[in-house]
Amino acid sequence: MLNEWLLTLARWLDGFSWSTELHESLYMYAWIESTHVLTLMLFLGMLFIIDLRMLGVTFTSVPATTIAERLDRPMMIGFVVMVITGFILYFAIPVRSTQSIWFRIKVFLLIAAGINALLFRNKMRNPTGSWDLDPKPPKHIRTGAALSLTLWAAVVITGRTIAYDWYDCNKELPYFMYWAAGCVDEMAALDLQASLQ
Amino acid sequence: MRKLKRTPKPIAILAGGVAALLLMPVAQAHHAFTAEFDAESPVLLTGKVTRVEWVNPHAWVHLAVQNEDHSTTDWMVEGGTPNTLFRTGITKKSLAAGTEIVVRGYQSKDHACEPACKANGRDVTFPDGSKLFMGSSGTGAPEDGADPSTHR
Repeated sequence: MLNEWLLTLARWLDGFSWSTELHESLYMYAWIESTHVLTLMLFLGMLFIIDLRMLGVTFTSVPATTIAERLDRPMMIGFVVMVITGFILYFAIPVRSTQSIWFRIKVFLLIAAGINALLFRNKMRNPTGSWDLDPKPPKHIRTGAALSLTLWAAVVITGRTIAYDWYDCNKELPYFMYWAAGCVDEMAALDLQASLQ
Repeated sequence: MRKLKRTPKPIAILAGGVAALLLMPVAQAHHAFTAEFDAESPVLLTGKVTRVEWVNPHAWVHLAVQNEDHSTTDWMVEGGTPNTLFRTGITKKSLAAGTEIVVRGYQSKDHACEPACKANGRDVTFPDGSKLFMGSSGTGAPEDGADPSTHR
C-alpha cells in the first residue's frame, strides 16, 4: 500500500517539466549535486568534531559546550543547504530514487539520526551536571555521540551507493527485495505468474 | 591560554583512514566502472538509435542492433553526463532516432539482456565517420585509447 502511494507521488513529481529539465540539464544538476556533497562535508566535519569531543577523544582540554557552541552555526548552515539540495536531487530523479533500496535505507537512517540528534542535542549543549570541563563526558552523552557518528557515516555510505544499479527494479531479484525497494510492477508480475501456475 | 592536548596517534590515523574511504568514491567520478561493467567483455555494436535518455548523472543511448539472422537485439549504452557528451560534440540532435551508429564499449557484468542488454560506451562513430568519446574520465574503465584525456 505504502509502496503504491510512494510510487504515485514519485510519478507525479516526475511529471513536472522542472524535474525533467533538471535531470537533463547541462550544468544545474552538477552544481546541485556538488553543493550537496560540499555542504555535507561542512556539516559532517563540524558534527564529527563535536561528537568526538563528546566521546572524550578530541579537544579534551576545551570545555564541551565551547566546542558545541562555536561549531553549531557552520554545522547548521551546512545542514540546511545539504537538506535543500538533497530534496532538489530527489525531485530531479524521483521514480528511480523511490525504488532504490539504498535510498530507502538512507531515509530510515536519516530519521534515526534525526531522532538521536533531537534527543541528545540539548543534553550536549546544556550540561546539567558539571561535566562540561571533564575530558570524558558521562556515558549517556558518549552513547549519543557514538550513535550519531555511526548513523551519519551509514547515511553517507548508503547515499553513495544509490548510484549503483545492483538492486534496481529491472534486475531479477527475490520477491522480498522487490517489496523492500518498492518495485510495484515487478511484484505484480510475479503475483500474476504465481496465480497462473 | 591552555595548550590543546594533541589527538592520540591511533585515533588520528583512524580518522584519516575513514576520511580517505569516504572521499574515495567521489574521486572515482560518479560510479566506478568495475562495479557494473566487465572489462573482459568488449562489445562492438552497430545499429540504429531508438531513443536517448539525455539524463544526469549518465546518459543512456538505446539502439537496435542488427544480428546476422536479420533479427535485432535491444541494447542500452551508458555514456557520460549530458555535459561531458556535449563537450565532446555529441548532442541530442546528433543522436536522433534512426541514426546509424557504431558503439564500442563493455557489457554489464551480469550480461543480463532484460529489458535490454547493457553496456558502458567508450566511443561512438557517426554516419559522417566522426568518432567521439562518449564515456567519463577517471571511472576506472580500461585504458583502451578511447578517452582523449588519457593521451599524454
